[in-house]
Amino acid sequence: MSPFWSGWIMFLIVFNLGITLFLFLWGPRVKIPTLPDGTTGHVWAHGVLREGMNRLPLWWIVMSGAMFVIGFAYLYLYPGFGSSKGSLGWTSHKQLAQDTAANRAKLDPILAGFAGKPVDALAADSTATRMGERLFIDNCAACHGREGHGNRVIGAPNLIDATWIYGGDGATLLTSILDGRHGTMPPFSSSLDKAAIENLANYVLSLSGRDHSPAKAKLGAENFAVCAACHGPTGTGNPALGAPNLTTADELYGRDLATIEQTIRNGRSGVMPAWRTRLTDTDARLIAAWVYARSHANAAH
Amino acid sequence: MAGGYRGYKYFEAIEKRAGLLGILTAIMVSLGGLAEITPIFMAAHEVKPALGVKPYDALRLAGKDIYVREGCYLCHSQMIRALRAETERYGPFSTAEESVYDRPHQWGSKRTGPDLARVGGKYSDEWQRQHLRDPRSVVPESNMPSYPWLAQALVDGDDIAARMRTLRFLGDPYSDADIAGAKAAVSGQTELDAVVAYLQGLGIANEPTNAKPQQAAP
Repeated sequence: MSPFWSGWIMFLIVFNLGITLFLFLWGPRVKIPTLPDGTTGHVWAHGVLREGMNRLPLWWIVMSGAMFVIGFAYLYLYPGFGSSKGSLGWTSHKQLAQDTAANRAKLDPILAGFAGKPVDALAADSTATRMGERLFIDNCAACHGREGHGNRVIGAPNLIDATWIYGGDGATLLTSILDGRHGTMPPFSSSLDKAAIENLANYVLSLSGRDHSPAKAKLGAENFAVCAACHGPTGTGNPALGAPNLTTADELYGRDLATIEQTIRNGRSGVMPAWRTRLTDTDARLIAAWVYARSHANAAH
Repeated sequence: MAGGYRGYKYFEAIEKRAGLLGILTAIMVSLGGLAEITPIFMAAHEVKPALGVKPYDALRLAGKDIYVREGCYLCHSQMIRALRAETERYGPFSTAEESVYDRPHQWGSKRTGPDLARVGGKYSDEWQRQHLRDPRSVVPESNMPSYPWLAQALVDGDDIAARMRTLRFLGDPYSDADIAGAKAAVSGQTELDAVVAYLQGLGIANEPTNAKPQQAAP
């Protein structure tokens, strides 16, 4: 702060507190002339209202006095009087650092026990999974839902079933969280006509045994070769490419014919952001542990 | 009249003249504002952009103006305060140097939705699109309104170029090439594209890089 503005603030404080303190101390001592009836002679409303001479109430005097004491103490202890830093040297940034350190002192010993541990081991620890659930709700629920059921509207996979695109083991979960994923499927609207897409979509439905037209699926099977490059010759998918398994009943974007046709026609681009800059490695392990525990509990049923 | 009554005449003079009482009251009441607001207001003009903080490119500038137009600031702040509860949820606290190119600034003092100062990259582009079209399709408990019209309007390139010229006049370091390329940069982009680009840059494109002493070449 420049000396000018520091002086400006000091002047205003001295001026303001000076006047009010002077009035506070001097006001009660001033002798005010009174009439024989004890009023000041000030009248309003043609004499109906007259100004009396009662003393200031004690509570008012005490509170005003306390205000001065607190005001001076504040200006002495905390930054406020121009460029004065205050005798405590308090700043909001120091306060934040202290609060953060106090929290870390409580949290770090617990987190230290989890650091670097394999995800499947953490999944058996109820403290770890409780912390993981909290972190999941704070960070992951916007896409995957509070319960981890996923969201077909944006192609966010269900995380608590037994079906995985990239893999559900601990190390793969951790990689997915920290580095993110980008699953792309190219559009086929230029290479396949409307009928061919409908046939192919029927074939895809047949892979997981859902309602389809067998005749159309038979025709569609001929075009599946182009899909097989990523999804495999039998449609079981490829975790290395993030190509989903088409033989399970789970669908990323939807399980109806129209959605599958749309996927083939326009392609898909599913992005999971990388969390490395927002989460610590241990945070990511705790989240992965909760997901691992939930998906395995569901798979066991 | 006795000497003890001497001071009373000043008191009486003020009390009996409503105009004078009003003026003196206004002076006393404004002292706090003069001490607290004026120095910071003057200092605000001296804030320099931190290293790494750049003016908005054409598309993000369009997005920022749509953000203001739609009143997003009424529910979302862009100022992470230096409080643990905020830095844990949103990331490092905001600094004045990050928002020198925000005209007007989007700090805000009220949150119905979360702070957005560092929301860039937290969600995918597709999530942001879907969330603007229909917030409840991704966050069931959300009370944010839908903004379906954003996808139907195209960004006006000439308008953005004019805005960039105005911002350059105000001191933002846009180059001639930036302004000449503005129309092409937003060509065919919808308002939804612009807002998503703006949101995805928050806390990333305006993130100050830690200034390291430059090594002179040997």
